Amino acid sequence: MKGKLEPSVRQALVEEGKSLKEGLVALEEDLVHLTDKLQQEAQCIPNTTHPDAPLGSEENSVLRRMVGSPREFSFAVKDHLQLGKELDLFDFDAASEVSGSKFYYLKNEAVLLEMGLINWALAEVSKRGFTPLITPEIVRSSVVEKCGFQPRGQNTQVYSIEGSDQCLIGTAEIPVGGIHMDSILSEPSLPLKYVAYSHCFRTEAGAAGTATRGLYRVHQFSKVEMFVFCRPEDSDRYHEELIGIEEDLFTSLGLHFKTLDMATGDLGAPTYRKFDVEAWMPGLDRYGEISSASNCTDYQSRRLGIRYRPSPSDPSPASSKKGKGSTPAQFVHTLNATACAVPRMIVCLLENFQQEDGSVVIPEPLRPFMGGLHVIPPTSN
Amino acid sequence: MISSGYLGGTTLHTLTLAPSLCRSAFLRSPLKTLTLALVTNPHRHHPMLPMPSILRAFSSPAVPTASLATQEGKVTSKPQWKAAIDFKWIRDNKDVVAANIKNRNSSADLELVLELYEKFLSLQKEVERLRAERNIVANKMKGKLEPSVRQALVEEGKSLKEGLVALEEDLVHLTDKLQQEAQCIPNTTHPDAPLGSEENSVLRRMVGSPREFSFAVKDHLQLGKELDLFDFDAASEVSGSKFYYLKNEAVLLEMGLINWALAEVSKRGFTPLITPEIVRSSVVEKCGFQPRGQNTQVYSIEGSDQCLIGTAEIPVGGIHMDSILSEPSLPLKYVAYSHCFRTEAGAAGTATRGLYRVHQFSKVEMFVFCRPEDSDRYHEELIGIEEDLFTSLGLHFKTLDMATGDLGAPTYRKFDVEAWMPGLDRYGEISSASNCTDYQSRRLGIRYRPSPSDPSPASSKKGKGSTPAQFVHTLNATACAVPRMIVCLLENFQQEDGSVVIPEPLRPFMGGLHVIPPTSN
Repeated sequence: MKGKLEPSVRQALVEEGKSLKEGLVALEEDLVHLTDKLQQEAQCIPNTTHPDAPLGSEENSVLRRMVGSPREFSFAVKDHLQLGKELDLFDFDAASEVSGSKFYYLKNEAVLLEMGLINWALAEVSKRGFTPLITPEIVRSSVVEKCGFQPRGQNTQVYSIEGSDQCLIGTAEIPVGGIHMDSILSEPSLPLKYVAYSHCFRTEAGAAGTATRGLYRVHQFSKVEMFVFCRPEDSDRYHEELIGIEEDLFTSLGLHFKTLDMATGDLGAPTYRKFDVEAWMPGLDRYGEISSASNCTDYQSRRLGIRYRPSPSDPSPASSKKGKGSTPAQFVHTLNATACAVPRMIVCLLENFQQEDGSVVIPEPLRPFMGGLHVIPPTSN
Repeated sequence: MISSGYLGGTTLHTLTLAPSLCRSAFLRSPLKTLTLALVTNPHRHHPMLPMPSILRAFSSPAVPTASLATQEGKVTSKPQWKAAIDFKWIRDNKDVVAANIKNRNSSADLELVLELYEKFLSLQKEVERLRAERNIVANKMKGKLEPSVRQALVEEGKSLKEGLVALEEDLVHLTDKLQQEAQCIPNTTHPDAPLGSEENSVLRRMVGSPREFSFAVKDHLQLGKELDLFDFDAASEVSGSKFYYLKNEAVLLEMGLINWALAEVSKRGFTPLITPEIVRSSVVEKCGFQPRGQNTQVYSIEGSDQCLIGTAEIPVGGIHMDSILSEPSLPLKYVAYSHCFRTEAGAAGTATRGLYRVHQFSKVEMFVFCRPEDSDRYHEELIGIEEDLFTSLGLHFKTLDMATGDLGAPTYRKFDVEAWMPGLDRYGEISSASNCTDYQSRRLGIRYRPSPSDPSPASSKKGKGSTPAQFVHTLNATACAVPRMIVCLLENFQQEDGSVVIPEPLRPFMGGLHVIPPTSN
């Protein structure tokens, strides 16, 4: 219609344009709805699975490594709750009144224990080249979803803030994953390795059964978390590195534990492969999970929008410019692993290192982080 | 790394509350609170208020946990808990109370409270009279009676019962309304507290002087950027404004400050605590905060009656809720570490930059439960500890006796510490020490049983002859509010080369770090 036209020809074109436009608007609307529906359905598809991951339900998980053996006690073993009561370390009753069940106060040497564990874990992992972080504990619910959690599902683990789109984090994995949201990282900057300390909040809705006693399952706890952003070809290697760090940490404290390659039935949607560490807890007379190391490959990065620009193989200036000729950005891989989940560690330390006289010995690596404390003495009642 | 401070634990002798040992819930608070200067007190409580122009929303406590529409269509709130308010004392000292209310700019309606109290008393008398009559009728019916006499008595009994039920209902409503109105009355004021608005606060002490810089001073945000210590931008995307990540040496700084503060205060005889950060909203109210008021500082959890704490004062105050403590166990002194969450709704103005005003921060808080006669003394002790701590770090600061215009409803007297922040080119509040006397304890239900003066076994038994329980006094004071301390440390100890020197007392708690070096960019 740009040139000079006969009025009747122009009119016919105008009509045709209008009818095309109407058709287009309708189709574009359909496209939006379809895209939304496609997203909604496709987001339910879980991450792929590592070829070596064991198939089946949790019992099919495979033992990767066993360190130490259950300590033999020459006296009656107490569980952490009883030790806590006798040593005046916790108060669950007062917390129940003030906050509700599964909340607690830590007191006296338990405060030193928590601070010591956090300080020790941060120091140990920092010196292995991880950047220390302290993170927000309130985040937008969209970030929670992009990490692969479901803030508003039934039996959700996530606390929401009233009157806002914000939630409390259940793990520092969320704010750390979010730190590079909607970014393109340069290849030389990878891997980015963070060790993050935060409090974590979990509703534990739907957690029934006996494994809820005392510090084993609580609504609020401190955790030191490792997080890695890396190139896809490197994620298996960093998964091994992360589980190696965990095993070193727990071995150094003298814990007896086993590392499991978790079966597919136990993997959450984001997880390509997961290694769990279960430590021996004599008071519970069984193994309890103290840590988890997951490789999420590009599941989270595709949702959080985190990519990197691979360095071009041709080093000439022309090809290192953005735009035509530069390599397209790829999605990074993300991994997360627990360095130290404080309450479960406290359970392990109290129950494993209790003495016949009621005292508890502090493992050597923690002592410098606890003002030199060697032992929690029995209280003089 | 914490030096082993207070080991061995404190055995707490808590007695479970014996029912109806103290028939009167309205115990007299001791003589301490009788003398009142004419003071002003606006309607707010703000533990961390830095700027004079910022109005806080920690108003007087309300009781709105459940709202009911009245017959007249007005929405009233049914109190879910009762404060043990001394109505008789208020009535007997109404002029003094009225003056205090006026001078603290409270909107409490004293006339209404007194009116409701009188109605309550006469209604209560009426109910008791009816109950007595009903008992008489019941007793009369015990013997052998003529059928017609019995029938008359039955009718009388029934009519008395109906009347009683109606009156008892009225009594409940009246009690609720009385509570609602009376809870608005602010705490009494220390006679020495300065009158007036915040500018009338009086300087108690000045330590040090502003450092002279031979180079251009940077503020903490610029230092943080250059030393790669914070990230506000990423946090803004992930969480929203006024959130932040701490990185690298700032993580060491935060951990160092917390560990140091816990160690320093523990060794002064305080029991260390780590507390829940989610609490029932009723506990928040009982401490004198208003979780659901307009411009509230309090985050609420969706689908629950729980809130996030804005200070460890709340879970620590709650730790002895509804208890009777023994006198020998007092004072109970706690040093508590927690994260704190504040909406900062209504905080306008320039004092919001960077770490100065944030939604989430770490704080080490001191809390004391003591006998009434001791609270002034412990108030001095708490401010003394704070001054020692800040002096030891080499900070320049001033301690202020806050004027009545700045006292929140629970506060009898408040001392604030303001430290010099060269990057902001002014003083900023880093800590606050408040004596709440029995305001919180009357709401939290925390009493103690004074040891009897007569040591004979007979008088030390509970029941007849033992001394009635009294309400404790509570005090709270900031040992260390981490972000503001970080502002102080970075801005005051920056060097010309861009590095920051770590004060000596913190170094053992930061792995021996002496200085944050300038980044090699």
